[in-house]
Amino acid sequence: MGDALLCVRGLKVGFPTVDGVVKASNAVDLTIQAGETLALLGETGSGKTVLGMAILRLLQPNTRIEGEILYRGRDLLSLPQEEMQKIRGREIAVVLQNSGTSLNPVLRVGDQIAEAITLHRGLKGAEAEAAAVELLERVRIADPARMAREYPHRFSGGMRERALIALALACSPSFLIADEPTRGLDAVTKHEILALFSEINRGRSVLFITHDIEAAATLATRVAVMYAGEIVEIGPVDAVLSSPAHPYTRGLLESLPARGMRPIPGSAPSLIAPPSGCRFFPRCSCSVGRCETEHPGLVPVGPGHCARCMLYD
Amino acid sequence: MIDVCDLKTYYSTGFLCRTEVRAVDGVSFGIKKGETLGLVGESGCGKTTLGRSLLRLIEPTGGRVVFDGTNITALSRKDLRRFRPRMQMIFQDAYASLNPRMRVRESITEPLRIHGLEDRAGIGRRVRELIEMVGLNEEHLNRRPYELSGGQNQRVVLARVLALEPEFIVADEPTAGLDVSVQAQILTLFRDLGRDYHTACLYISHDLGVVRAMSDRVAVMLKGRIVEIGPTADVLDRPCHSYTRRLVAASSADRGFSRPAPCPALPGSPVMVEVQSGHWVEAAAR
Amino acid sequence: MPGRNAALYLSLGVVLVYCAVALFAPVIAPFDPFVISGPPLAPPDAAHLLGTNDLAQDIFSRLIWGTRATLILGFLGAVVSVVMGTTVGIVAGYYGGRIDEAVMRFLDVMMTIPFFPLLLVLTIFLRPGIYVTAVIMGLLGGLGSVRIIRSQVLSLAVADFVVGTKALGARDGYIMARHILPNVLPLVGVKFVTSAQHFMLVGIGLGFLGMGDPNVVDWGQMIERASKNGGIVLGLWWWLIPPGLAVTGISLALAWFAYACEERINPRFQVMRV
Repeated sequence: MGDALLCVRGLKVGFPTVDGVVKASNAVDLTIQAGETLALLGETGSGKTVLGMAILRLLQPNTRIEGEILYRGRDLLSLPQEEMQKIRGREIAVVLQNSGTSLNPVLRVGDQIAEAITLHRGLKGAEAEAAAVELLERVRIADPARMAREYPHRFSGGMRERALIALALACSPSFLIADEPTRGLDAVTKHEILALFSEINRGRSVLFITHDIEAAATLATRVAVMYAGEIVEIGPVDAVLSSPAHPYTRGLLESLPARGMRPIPGSAPSLIAPPSGCRFFPRCSCSVGRCETEHPGLVPVGPGHCARCMLYD
Repeated sequence: MIDVCDLKTYYSTGFLCRTEVRAVDGVSFGIKKGETLGLVGESGCGKTTLGRSLLRLIEPTGGRVVFDGTNITALSRKDLRRFRPRMQMIFQDAYASLNPRMRVRESITEPLRIHGLEDRAGIGRRVRELIEMVGLNEEHLNRRPYELSGGQNQRVVLARVLALEPEFIVADEPTAGLDVSVQAQILTLFRDLGRDYHTACLYISHDLGVVRAMSDRVAVMLKGRIVEIGPTADVLDRPCHSYTRRLVAASSADRGFSRPAPCPALPGSPVMVEVQSGHWVEAAAR
Repeated sequence: MPGRNAALYLSLGVVLVYCAVALFAPVIAPFDPFVISGPPLAPPDAAHLLGTNDLAQDIFSRLIWGTRATLILGFLGAVVSVVMGTTVGIVAGYYGGRIDEAVMRFLDVMMTIPFFPLLLVLTIFLRPGIYVTAVIMGLLGGLGSVRIIRSQVLSLAVADFVVGTKALGARDGYIMARHILPNVLPLVGVKFVTSAQHFMLVGIGLGFLGMGDPNVVDWGQMIERASKNGGIVLGLWWWLIPPGLAVTGISLALAWFAYACEERINPRFQVMRV
């Protein structure tokens, strides 16, 4: 683990709610090397966004977090706020999910990007504005000088996504967390965004959170599949997607329209009271007796490829 | 079953300087009973407007829609209401399609009550039939939309729409925003039910993989016009129009299949040309 | 959350107490508010808890009877205001187009006329009784709520579930009553409470300016009488202050109630996306 840029150990995240504690993350271990793109693949409720946000400590104040998140050897969870603020944006940046409020609707787009530049690069006024326009140009927004003076509602979905990427890259971070950059985009725009992404992040470490298998296949070198708050399979992207070891990964691939559209029966378990034993057991078609009672650990199934399944234990 | 002739829907915006947006600009096609026509195109090409114009949820500006022999564009609102149960729509956001204050049971009985079709006992039976058909159970009946997941809500919407046994359904991206495994469940359900009931369907989506799996024929829309239409395999494997080729190339699931067939380049105003039996392309859009 | 619930029940309790006092006034009040029951301008004693006024009427009884006028003005006015505002707001927002524009232009003109002076002018000319005053207040005050309700209806009218119900073949009236109205009710409820509070205060103002209904006991009139007949100069605090305190009490209770309600009405259904 010599030059691992980010090392997550035993991360547990819980949200106290009226109905009980939602255990969004269950002792997750993850490592990202310098310069690699790791895709965190999962569906709604798998805990992938929580994991991404936990790294930058962007979760709500009443969240219970345990474990370690080591960035270049420093534990981010134990840093004081001022130190954390220096890291956010400059060393580690986030491309937030493209929702209606990911950009401030009452500020011009150029101003919002310039804000990030002023904060970390110390440029002010006209210099910051010029740098913002340059960034918009890098993300291939047409007529960047004019678009920088526009408000977010004038941007289409794809353009907003590009603006969010520009915002994240304002200070050339070494590590980028991208939260669902292709959600809700149509096929052509998605293709363009993915192309932009791979070109603009050469040499950067990226944690790519997505539910889109195609996008993960295009961009990532390694992929980690999450289900019910745990990593159930992790390995090189070709290995995992062409010969998936975990039954959930297999089910996911088979439910793609192009591969037969065979649905996985049932639905994801509640994170307040997850099943003891294997969390995928209630929906699994190849379970053995032990699956119901014993909780499987991550076991190797190939070079650099592990799966959390009793079948391989 | 459905015949669309030169349908136009224009929006005028602005108070002082009225600008016209030609959302649907002269669209013609037909859908047979039991057939599913896929409609693809990027965001903003007018596919949603087209879907809603067919049902006159947005009033078309011109053209004709003939449903089972009747010109529904010419009907008065009162007469149109008689046709409503036969043609229904499924929207993209299942959560927004349901009244947040109504329980599932009320949402499903509403269509039955509006058309006065059944009595109390009959309604109860029908509701139970419907929820079984869509894969929900009794305990879901008392829930409200926010207590259910996206997939479950879309099932409720399906039950609501099927309550009146429509002959034509417009499905506007019903699984956009749903996870892949949930999408597979909903689409398989949709496909099976469509087959059982022989419903004609217009399936609107921007996902070519889904459209390939769900439709018999597919139409490609660009800036309010249909530029290519034909059997799904033909259009997606051997796309002719340049825009269709772009779409197909962008969908990685289809990568490796596109072998563009040679197309005649005709000058002049856009006109549909039949390049193969059943496969029409808009030639040389200026 | 116990804190929120306490505010809700407490304020509701206070409002209910006022309502009970108004309802049971004939039973609770020791004297008829109009008869002479002792020496004039007498300070409080055992029989007259708040003394007597210049006409030798028992102030305490008048205070109790005065609750009726204030509550009627407030609640009746609020009902009229809310019914009018909701109906017009829903129709304008749902149909849009010409109807909406016509309503909005009318509102634009009406809103430039200040509420209180207009009310004053109308009461001077018409000299209405308390019920008619309440209706007039409601009509004038309802104009403001039309805008708020209309904006919510605008977004509801294009919501998928409304379009879907139209697609099912439902009539407009049915949709407006069964789908739009229930979703607008929380807003309407809060507006009702704040309107009631507003009208009660306005009613006191009218009474103070001598525009009140002379046949009715009214806190505003009591304050006016007190200040005109030497209440301040002679230091007759028992005459001057209680009506003011009474109206402050109900006003605060209603405001607090509206605030506590708003908390509960706002969508608590925040689903966490992990």
